Amino acid sequence: MNLIDFSGDAFVVSFLLYCASFIMYAIAVMGRRFRKREPEAHLAKWGKIAFVTASIGLIGHLLYFFTRWAGSGHVPVSNMYEFMSFLSMAIMIAFLVLYFIYKKSLLGLFALPLVILIMAYAAVFPQEVQPLIPSLQSYWLGIHVTLAALGDAFFAVGFIAGLMHLLRTVNFTATDKGARREQRWLELCMFAIVVLLGFILSVYSFRTAGYEAVFNQTQIDPKTETSKIVKVEYNMPPIVAPYQSETESMQSFLGMKSPLFEAPSWMHGVNAGRKLNTVIWSLVSGIILYGLLRLFIRRPIAKFIQPALNKLNPDDLDEISYRAIAIGFPVFTLGGLIFAMIWAEIAWGRFWGWDPKEVWALITWLFYSVYLHLRLSRGWQGKYSSWLSVIGFIVVMFTLVGVNLIIAGLHSYAGTD
Amino acid sequence: MSEGSKPLIQNTKCECGHQNPPGTVLCEACGKPLTKEAEAQQILEMRYDGVARRSQKANPGFIDKVWNFFSSVKVAIYLILLTLIGSSLGTILPQESTFLNIDPSVYYKEEYGQLGHIYYLLGLSHTYTSWWFVLLLVMIGASLVICSLDRVLPLYKALSRQRIPKHMSFLTRQRVVYQGTVEQDGAEWVERVKPLIKKKGYRVRTDGGTLLAEKQRFSRWGPYVLHIGLIIFLLAVLGRNLPGLHMDEHMAFPEGEPVHIKNTSYYLMNDGFKVEFYTEEDMPNEFKGKGKVLPKKFETEAILYVCESNCNTPGQEPQLKEVTRHNIEVNHPLNYKGLKAYQFDYDLTPILRTVSPMLIDSKTGEQYGKIDLSIKDPVREYKAGDYTLTLTQTFTDFGLGDDGKPVNLSPNPNAPAFLFLIKGPNLPADGIQYFYFPKQVDKERFQQDAINAQLAGGENLVTLDVLSMDDVDFAESTTYLNIRVDKAMPFIWVGAFIGMIGLVMGFYFHHRRIWLRVDDGTLTLGAHTNKNWFGLRREVAAILNQMNIEVDEKSLENNRGSQA
Repeated sequence: MNLIDFSGDAFVVSFLLYCASFIMYAIAVMGRRFRKREPEAHLAKWGKIAFVTASIGLIGHLLYFFTRWAGSGHVPVSNMYEFMSFLSMAIMIAFLVLYFIYKKSLLGLFALPLVILIMAYAAVFPQEVQPLIPSLQSYWLGIHVTLAALGDAFFAVGFIAGLMHLLRTVNFTATDKGARREQRWLELCMFAIVVLLGFILSVYSFRTAGYEAVFNQTQIDPKTETSKIVKVEYNMPPIVAPYQSETESMQSFLGMKSPLFEAPSWMHGVNAGRKLNTVIWSLVSGIILYGLLRLFIRRPIAKFIQPALNKLNPDDLDEISYRAIAIGFPVFTLGGLIFAMIWAEIAWGRFWGWDPKEVWALITWLFYSVYLHLRLSRGWQGKYSSWLSVIGFIVVMFTLVGVNLIIAGLHSYAGTD
Repeated sequence: MSEGSKPLIQNTKCECGHQNPPGTVLCEACGKPLTKEAEAQQILEMRYDGVARRSQKANPGFIDKVWNFFSSVKVAIYLILLTLIGSSLGTILPQESTFLNIDPSVYYKEEYGQLGHIYYLLGLSHTYTSWWFVLLLVMIGASLVICSLDRVLPLYKALSRQRIPKHMSFLTRQRVVYQGTVEQDGAEWVERVKPLIKKKGYRVRTDGGTLLAEKQRFSRWGPYVLHIGLIIFLLAVLGRNLPGLHMDEHMAFPEGEPVHIKNTSYYLMNDGFKVEFYTEEDMPNEFKGKGKVLPKKFETEAILYVCESNCNTPGQEPQLKEVTRHNIEVNHPLNYKGLKAYQFDYDLTPILRTVSPMLIDSKTGEQYGKIDLSIKDPVREYKAGDYTLTLTQTFTDFGLGDDGKPVNLSPNPNAPAFLFLIKGPNLPADGIQYFYFPKQVDKERFQQDAINAQLAGGENLVTLDVLSMDDVDFAESTTYLNIRVDKAMPFIWVGAFIGMIGLVMGFYFHHRRIWLRVDDGTLTLGAHTNKNWFGLRREVAAILNQMNIEVDEKSLENNRGSQA
């Protein structure tokens, strides 16, 4: 068994351990009212078991990382699979750091699902080791990417604590306009998480089923006015076909034998149609999943979760959220901006080139500096600060994923199309 | 909240007798809340310790107004937000600077349609060099300077002149508060607790029954150090564009000949370029068999020369001295005294460098002699045996104009051609005109022999021809390097480094203060930090427990102000 295979196994084992840990956290919180139990003792005991399981999971995750490093000969952060795996590991590390400061193991109730989702998302991308192109052959790859991801991971923990603060404090009994708006936005966050889950589930279902459809897309070069035929492969049933395409082959799905409609003309890029199709599938499966959940729990998800957090002090959550961001901000500045500039200077001869990824790293930094100014100088704490930590995490995820999928540029990873 | 709101009548003398400057929120001496807003607070707002900022002057003049505008954190936040939104707009479509040769007025329309054209018309295709973006950066710079100065000086004064006894209403409205009874006399109790607090790393000062303990005050200067770093960084970024500080050229270096680097005394020679690709077995399965190529390495063996004499004298060979050699790879640029050369691109098409054709008598085939003709730097006169060849015209990219006359199409050596005036035995006294095309393909394309026959009056008397491949010299490849000089870089790094120190100071250290006073057997303790209240409560609880006062960490929290 070679190192790369071992590393892949370690990845799966740590994933399963994280899942087990999440279930134990759920037991810790939900099981407090089990018969004849001391609620406090139950929570403490299962919280501890869950935390230990998650820590063992992290050891597996670290094993994955270092064996893959040894096996491939370069720091495994060079494609989307490796990067997302690393990001989830970094979030675990950030969670651990905050745990050692505040000893709130219940943070794991939300940190673990986020880690699990990101790991599952990582595994959507091709997992093979890819050789490095010349511009990536530098030790700065390891330094810049890992440190930037670690900074982002602290922002993620800030988001988790901020979201928990909101879930803990939003008043679900009030019916005034402000409270209603807050309830709706919070539920929208929950819905967004369910859609991400829907995306992952639909990718894996169709992958397991071995679904495939192939299209021939006609692409026109506006300058030369010549056209060429490009083959586009779908791994999900085509609700949307690529713009100006013909079906070469398509497995029927639930009686659907041809695409329902074609992508609009402005989505004429090679993979735009497929990406749109994936988005639609994620939304569809997310809505179904959300509907089922609502049927089952008979109330908004946020309202369902709220009682689980009633033992937590909102001020503590607020401080953990702020502290995570305060720890992450210098790390991100160093890894995501300064080291990035040093590497850019060495590799490309300019420390800053307004590449979309660079710009979005700057936007992330500007956003969190606004957060810090509002909090420290204008006294935005609690609710407002928590909402900002949620928005901040959306900015972070857009920088890490959205830019690659939608804008690309110099930082495009292999396998993101 | 309290910012900007000033009472009409400024009675700024505190009951403790201290005269405070207008705009003071908490008395500089005893900490008593002075404004209505502060008095109404359950928990005091401790920003900048409640001192008056410079901008809170009574009668602002014009300069004061400008100062006041930039001194507002609110304005700073708006500026950051505008910069944030502005920069995000610039990522919607690729910027003009990403392309080397385009005409943006047509490119955006062709590539992205009408919306693309609007994007161009709005100036968003060069967002980051537009006047409004640069103005935003300049304003952020101004805000950084003024905001910092406005706060750091009063704060510095306040923190270095702290008085130990504090007003009761100052202590009980801190976020960490303890009140209880102690048996002992105040001063004695304070002396007993002093070493315990010291052990936790605090500097402790006492005054009778009152005490002030403080640690890591330097963390308060973190934000200002960061701002200084950012100012240096911004100045360097803006100053880079001054003439002479910055050079950015993309140059071609055909193998084997030194090329002069414009505006410098340096010459750089490409002494060999190689490119390696990953083999099929190195490739991951998803790439295999798809005809994809993945480059592994680009390498230019570069030699850098400095010109010592004859540098700008036409017709004379410059005297070069080697100063350094380096194998330039991506991520491994050449760097010599601030002149940097980066691997940028390459071209493996061979380029003709010199040819040595033989002058031959067309009838007898007699060989008169060879000339060494450099394609790039031909000389005026050549000798071949008894014949002289005078160069009258050179073309790098030969073509025929609409009127049938020879023209030069471009400065690129695509189709070099040379027009000679040949004089010598058996030729007309004033010589004959002769066109020479070094490339075989051009020779046929432009019918060299027919032209020459026509020029000589119907008959080819002599011919220039290459006899063997040894007489042809090619540059195997051309490497494209990005030549850069950026004299502002050290300032950029210094700014970034200082900023980083400020961040570490501000975020990884916490300014903590504990005040306490004992009045007639009642102990009142208040504590403040700028972050990590959790840690502060733990520390205070530990100290009190050591003094045999049983308190729970949580109970120290001043819940009266909790908005949750």
